[in-house]
Amino acid sequence: MNAPGGGHEEVVTRLHAALAALAANDEDGFREAMNSIAEWRASPVMTALARLARELGETLGALQATDPLFAELPDACARLEHVVKMTEEATHKTLDLVERSRELMERIPADAASDITSEIRRNLSEVALAQAYQDLTGQIIKRVVGVVRRVYDAVAAFGIEIPTERADNGLAGPALKGIDTHAVSQGDADDLLSQLDL
Amino acid sequence: MNKNMRILIVDDFSTMRRIVKNLLNDLGFTNTAEAEDGNSALAALRSSKFDFVVTDWNMPGMTGIELLKNIRSDPNLAKLPVLMVTAEAKREQIIEAAQNGVNGYIIKPFTAATLQEKLNKIFERLETAA
Repeated sequence: MNAPGGGHEEVVTRLHAALAALAANDEDGFREAMNSIAEWRASPVMTALARLARELGETLGALQATDPLFAELPDACARLEHVVKMTEEATHKTLDLVERSRELMERIPADAASDITSEIRRNLSEVALAQAYQDLTGQIIKRVVGVVRRVYDAVAAFGIEIPTERADNGLAGPALKGIDTHAVSQGDADDLLSQLDL
Repeated sequence: MNKNMRILIVDDFSTMRRIVKNLLNDLGFTNTAEAEDGNSALAALRSSKFDFVVTDWNMPGMTGIELLKNIRSDPNLAKLPVLMVTAEAKREQIIEAAQNGVNGYIIKPFTAATLQEKLNKIFERLETAA
């Protein structure tokens, strides 16, 4: 009967006992029934649940306190994805030039070929191979983006309101097409500078 | 080793496909085609004849290991040699690839010498077995 962690029925029984004692003006009986309910509440399972609930509440509260950070997550992900794209473009450009240089090397007459031309040819192969960094760094970045997106979704699933206000210093870094609308071209900048007599 | 053999290069990164293609060209293999994941690779393998597959592991859609399993379980493709070129470098992964019948395994980043060495090894072994 006094086993800790008793179920729903047991609470109902104890509450009925408390009500019956109250109706019968049985003060001792009422106190005893209330104590047994208090005892049930203090059972290890209930204590643990109460602690968990409190900790969860505190954590969610703390999250809200640091919330401007969350507002930056989707933007940070978009920027990382853009990094992958930029390195991909640069890598293709490097490979274009390597291939073009190789074609030119082929045109050097056989009698003019030397240790120097064969070393240049080897170096071009090494340059091409070194571009593998783009695949490897790209894989790492995509993985980080996945983790960040899952954290963001998990926070959103808690129903925490994510504000749109940002916590950075206002410096955007390189402007990204499709993400940043503030960017001006060098031409725009030059026009502005000349208007300022610079 | 037949330098005219037809090779399918499978990787989700276009840069890596191009690098592998360049390296194969350097080694004298110029008959290559590309696919960006296991699904499109499998479709290409089923629609025309290839002699060799170089595949990445981690790709969206069908991964390289799934592609390998599909190749080995398809009677028309089962004997096709497959070289895995991947950043996945865990012992268990290499074992898993081997257990599924991979012919060679190269960990990215790799050198031209490594690629040549693995190719030689794969085809020496196939010729001995034939």
